[in-house]
Amino acid sequence: MENAWIAMVMGLLILLATMASVELGISVAIIEIALGVIAGNFVGLHTTPWIDFLAGFASILLTFLAGAEVDPDLLQEKWKESLLIGGFSFLAPFLGAWVFAWFVLGWTSAAAQIAGVALSTTSLAVVYAVLVETGLTETEIGKIIMASTFVTDFGTALALALLFVRPNWWLVPFILVSVGIILAMRWLHPWFFERYGNRVIEPEIKGAFGALLVLMYFGEKAESHAVLPAFILGLAVAHILAKHRLQQHRFRVVAFALLTPFFFIKSGMNISLRAVLANFGAMALLLIVKMVTKSMGVYPAARRYVPADAAYTTLLMSTGLTFGTISSLYGLNAGILNQGQFSVLVTAVILSAIVPTLIAQRFFDPRHRLAAAESQESRAPAMSAAREEN
Amino acid sequence: MFHKILVAYDGSDGAKRALRAGIDLAKRYGAELHSIAVVEKLPHFAATVGEVKEAVRELTTRYEWISQEAVRVAKDQGIELHPKVQPGHEVEAVVNYAREGKFDLLVIGFAGHSHAFGRVMGGTAQNLARLTPCPVLIAK
Repeated sequence: MENAWIAMVMGLLILLATMASVELGISVAIIEIALGVIAGNFVGLHTTPWIDFLAGFASILLTFLAGAEVDPDLLQEKWKESLLIGGFSFLAPFLGAWVFAWFVLGWTSAAAQIAGVALSTTSLAVVYAVLVETGLTETEIGKIIMASTFVTDFGTALALALLFVRPNWWLVPFILVSVGIILAMRWLHPWFFERYGNRVIEPEIKGAFGALLVLMYFGEKAESHAVLPAFILGLAVAHILAKHRLQQHRFRVVAFALLTPFFFIKSGMNISLRAVLANFGAMALLLIVKMVTKSMGVYPAARRYVPADAAYTTLLMSTGLTFGTISSLYGLNAGILNQGQFSVLVTAVILSAIVPTLIAQRFFDPRHRLAAAESQESRAPAMSAAREEN
Repeated sequence: MFHKILVAYDGSDGAKRALRAGIDLAKRYGAELHSIAVVEKLPHFAATVGEVKEAVRELTTRYEWISQEAVRVAKDQGIELHPKVQPGHEVEAVVNYAREGKFDLLVIGFAGHSHAFGRVMGGTAQNLARLTPCPVLIAK
């Protein structure tokens, strides 16, 4: 297929996904993945080196953005709870899914490790949307869940960076350059913003993109992954982006309009429906393993800090999407996963964004408990009914 | 009879009828007039926090603008309107706000869907009438 035709189809898919997202109220990423599945399985659309590159860059950008969403003050405020809940939220599913994929599904150790990493994640975005919609972002439980998610995300980035590194001499410059870029962006941003900022040619965005591309280059040379330094870089500049709302908005515009669609559509294109259907049981089991091991890791810790909403906290910590997809796609690109394993794993990851969220909202919504406590006449069941009817 | 009136206002034709009724009742009873617009349709299962934050910001800005329009309409009639914009589920947010604000009356607009559509979609007006702790006036 010629490049122009592929670009045209990709462009139309991206537009269609955006329109469908607005109409359905579902995240554009989920729609992009779904359209990628259709394009890959029924239209015969295949990836190209330029799509691979854009998708790879987008995955680093998504990691950077995830780091940039971390609220350092919140993390500091809830460090004890978040370390415990977030730490076990990473560790239990990572080990559980690794062992399960290795011994039960018979995957190679490396493929099983990818499964562990992909299923250890918690989606801050899914969690955040739920907390905003339920008005819980400023509550104790909302703060604990968000802070814990930061810790889990960090664990995932750390595991992805350390487990698959094949050390060579490039690792030294990779580490030095990563540290140098992180420090330079922290220290030089006031001067850079003052001298070059606020122009339509967007020096701030180009500066960040340049830094991420440097990290990607050295990461590739070191046969490692730029995901960890990208996440830490995001974390290091989180307060800068929070102060410069306009630049943050433009950054997101460029990312969502031009880059992340390629990542999600490519992920969808690599899902083989035939493989998912043939291995439906394995896919369902991976999802169950994620939810069960998350419960084993999170629930006891959550009982200690938010006893009344421990089940709700556990379910929200069981959600996953972007980091899980990034990890799975890394496994496929690195030849660690075959297409069948990727299809099964990424489908389980996508379902983990949906299934725990729906269960949490339907059965464990803290507002129902609060409403019942506040009011003599408990209206919670009626509200659930209203939500269902609506 | 009514001291504190709440109008559910999203800028739709039904909401405009509700606003007119609310203004009329506020004048008649010398009541305080408030409005609430609920920011909903946030992207479910989002991939980035930015997507959610931007959606909240865009919708909040839109509803604030719509609410300011309502404030102007009320002011033209000599009534001060206190607008509120907040994210959430439309029925739940309005019910909670009405309860917490101890309103005497909730005025809502009828969307005018067909009976069948209303049954499928659950009927927001019907749910509000059922769940709100104060009397509800549906403006048709």
